[in-house]
Amino acid sequence: MAATKTLRSPLDVTLSVWKALFLREAVNRISRERTAWVWLLAEPMIHIVFITFIFSFVRVRVVGGIDTAVWIIVGFLVFFMFRRPAQQGMTAVGANQALFSYRQVKPVDAVLVRVGLEGFLMLVVAIIVLIGAGLLGYAVVPADPLSVLAAVFGVWLIGLSFALAASVANELIPELGWLITQSLIPLYFASGIIFPITQIPQPYRDWLMINPLVHGLEVARLGFAPNYQALPETSIAYVYAYALAAIFFGLTLQIRFATRLAAR
Amino acid sequence: MIIVDDVYKRYQTKHGAGRWVLRGVSLTIPTKVNVGLVGRNGAGKSTLLGLIGGIDQPSKGRIERRCHVSWPMGRAGGLPGVLTGRQNAKFVCRIHGHEDALPDRLAFIQDFAELGEAFDEPIYTYSSGMKSRLQFALSLAFDFDVYIADESISAGDIAFQKKAKAAFDKLADHATLIMVSHGVGLLKQFCTAGIWLADGKAHWFDKLDDALKAYEESLPA
Repeated sequence: MAATKTLRSPLDVTLSVWKALFLREAVNRISRERTAWVWLLAEPMIHIVFITFIFSFVRVRVVGGIDTAVWIIVGFLVFFMFRRPAQQGMTAVGANQALFSYRQVKPVDAVLVRVGLEGFLMLVVAIIVLIGAGLLGYAVVPADPLSVLAAVFGVWLIGLSFALAASVANELIPELGWLITQSLIPLYFASGIIFPITQIPQPYRDWLMINPLVHGLEVARLGFAPNYQALPETSIAYVYAYALAAIFFGLTLQIRFATRLAAR
Repeated sequence: MIIVDDVYKRYQTKHGAGRWVLRGVSLTIPTKVNVGLVGRNGAGKSTLLGLIGGIDQPSKGRIERRCHVSWPMGRAGGLPGVLTGRQNAKFVCRIHGHEDALPDRLAFIQDFAELGEAFDEPIYTYSSGMKSRLQFALSLAFDFDVYIADESISAGDIAFQKKAKAAFDKLADHATLIMVSHGVGLLKQFCTAGIWLADGKAHWFDKLDDALKAYEESLPA
């Protein structure tokens, strides 16, 4: 075979690993089970339809001045932009354990690529759901697309930070990983996707506002409908400050435990 | 040159840390010298090869590779069953930075592994022989300075073994082999130097015969 003796730069190696991992994970994610791609789309839609149904049952037609359905759709799509990367990225190290036998592949690569792939897939799913909702006559054309994108990207970054830290915990202390997985369930209720945070009395509301996802969701809703009465404390800067600090923490863990994660 | 500096290794089990498999192994393996690794079952031969090949990390100590080192040839990891042989081969080519030469490498791998149409079928349909042929072909598709050969040379049927041996002959001309085998004939054919592993320590011998002698003398009569 042709000689390729030049040493590649670390960046070259990493980029080629990311590309190879991305393609591999994509094939795996979509063809793992026969209906894997259906679930990809169906999961957020089931949540949306179910919660919308409950709201219409109790005759709540307007939340914060906008259509309840739009409020729920945007909330769920943005929330899933956190949850999917977080959940899938968390198990990326264990799932790719066998690949660390290639020295080029580091545990952190597996997490980053998976979170990237999930974000990409969720973006596609979100566009499909929004088009569908638009065809059904809901007002789902964002008035301020840039602030929607800023919110979505910020929430995805929070998912990334979660995955970076949780994947380390999940590998080294599986019991802690289980606990972290369980903590996603209360987060589902406390992020303002199935009931509005505005209805929560003080001081508990301030406590819920510590959760950066609440801020991200509110910014996204504001981007869709400028007349939406968002929580007054909402701050996109908080989302990004939180994400940057948490990513820094997650990467630190990844570097500190890199060899322990790859070792058997 | 590969430098193994005071390496310790034990495996983590569900019930805490296991026994020390390697206890302070220090070696300097020069290039251009083919080395045979001998020792009893459980002496840590595969563990040491795995560490040198970088598929696992030492618990303590350090391994420095100043050249391109292959993974242990029979243990090309991460061949998930749902992906096809071709998809897996593509992945390995890509992470080694051979995006441009992808078709050539794939053709070589398909040809050498003699998988035919099975190359495009999921790995879980492969027999163990087919799987090891694919792993063997994968490691031959790249130019390493040092090849780490475990028992993989005895994979496959007789025809494939012949082919594998011929490939080894060709490799031995331009690359270094580090080899584990219980077949003394095979070691003698390829290797000049030897490493004897016992009690978690490694002993280097410039001549393979001396390593084999030390190994045989250590065995209970």
